[in-house]
Amino acid sequence: MANLIDSITSSRVWKSFFRHGWPDDELNRSLVMTTNIFFHLHPVKVSRRSIRATYTWGLGVLAAILFVVLAVTGTLIMFYYVPSTELAYHNIIDLQTKVPYGQLMRNMHRWAAHGMVLIVVLHMARVFYTGAYKPPREFNWIVGVVLLLLTLGASFTGYLLPWDQLSYWAITVGTNIAGYTPLIGPKIRLMLLGGFEVGQNALTRFYALHIMVIPLLMTLLISLHLWRVRKDGGLAAQNIPERPDSRLEFQ
Amino acid sequence: MAVENKPDERFVRGPVKTYGLMELVRGRSPMVEKGPDDTVFSFPIVAILEALLALGTILVLGFFSLVRNAPLEELANPDLTTNPAKAPWYFMALQELLLHMHPVLAGIIVPGVVVLFLIILPYIDTDRSDAGRWFATPRGPKWVYFTALYTVIAQAGLIYFDEVMGLRGLGAASPLLLQFVGPIMFGVILFALPLLVVWRFKPTRRELMLVIFTIIIVSAITLTIAGFLFRGPGMHLYPPWGMPDGYNPWSSL
Repeated sequence: MANLIDSITSSRVWKSFFRHGWPDDELNRSLVMTTNIFFHLHPVKVSRRSIRATYTWGLGVLAAILFVVLAVTGTLIMFYYVPSTELAYHNIIDLQTKVPYGQLMRNMHRWAAHGMVLIVVLHMARVFYTGAYKPPREFNWIVGVVLLLLTLGASFTGYLLPWDQLSYWAITVGTNIAGYTPLIGPKIRLMLLGGFEVGQNALTRFYALHIMVIPLLMTLLISLHLWRVRKDGGLAAQNIPERPDSRLEFQ
Repeated sequence: MAVENKPDERFVRGPVKTYGLMELVRGRSPMVEKGPDDTVFSFPIVAILEALLALGTILVLGFFSLVRNAPLEELANPDLTTNPAKAPWYFMALQELLLHMHPVLAGIIVPGVVVLFLIILPYIDTDRSDAGRWFATPRGPKWVYFTALYTVIAQAGLIYFDEVMGLRGLGAASPLLLQFVGPIMFGVILFALPLLVVWRFKPTRRELMLVIFTIIIVSAITLTIAGFLFRGPGMHLYPPWGMPDGYNPWSSL
């Protein structure tokens, strides 16, 4: 058995996939992080403080996990949903009653969406109360604020799609708020809805924003957000040395 | 050909040495120019933690989705307004504000100022000495706690006061006074009171930010809960368990 595993892991095919050995020594534990596209978002070493549960509560990771769950369940729902005022509502009924696990998919998408808004707000509060927005992390804090607004936008545009009374009137109320801006308000509302009230144009626009524009922007900004965490020296927890370390000073 | 140190040479021969070999110690990785640190290898601990978080999230979400269905009401009908007509819960703070002041103030100016504050925050408070420390200073947690408590009471009081007094209904009074001057005055007082109190203790800039941010976020939470749970038909205040017409505020999630 050991021979078999050995011959597999030392074969050329295996080595073309994984460019490191079994990660049980320090060299290979470094290589596993740097040679894997998913792991390379992480540093090779992390400070004990920054992985302590009571420091971050894992909120940033949770938000990212929920984003992935939403992308997966959302894609599955897209196979059954047509953004038409004639069909949308009946698609949702069919999804819930005729599609295997359709109701479960829709439920998970809905609750994950609410959960993500909640988690993202809590994440912002965590970052604020630990002072993790301070230099050199100012820019990443702003990226985070934009991501919070995009999360709200993603959730709001998705809210209209079932085309039931709840979504119709919530979006009517919500877009009315945007319409209150002096001078440009009515124009913003017209641009969002593609008309003067919530109708087929609004549904088309919200659908495009919900499944394409906002998720793409968020993917881009989440990548930037994570990359900046690395570039700014990891979580702020690392920056409390007993003696200030001059290399960490940012000038 | 003689080798000379050229200006663009990368590895200059014989630079001034500032270190020498002192001692050989047993170790498993090079520790050149590094002080003692408190770090661990990310693999496997971070991978395990993230996998656990992902599994836990999917389990909790999946289980909750089995016991509770996403709401679906009747087909959208533009001719039949629901009562109450509410925005999604995360916009309920805005909708609640709209009940108390001019739409331009509630829908644009207040949220605009909040977003602006969030964006310029890291440029106001730049002292790095307490970065990474929960609530910044030893007295920080207490200040945040009392500010949060004060904000909940003050906001709930203001919401109830407006509902009972019916300031919106006072058509005879000047709309400018009722919808702009009044709310702005209450807003300024809301922020000024705790700031005046902490001013006596000579707060750092970071501590001032703690107080301001806490007022903002707790206000948002209080307004959201008031709008989401306590507003019933006609957008009037009711206890969540005693809504008229069988209205259930949770049904709009």
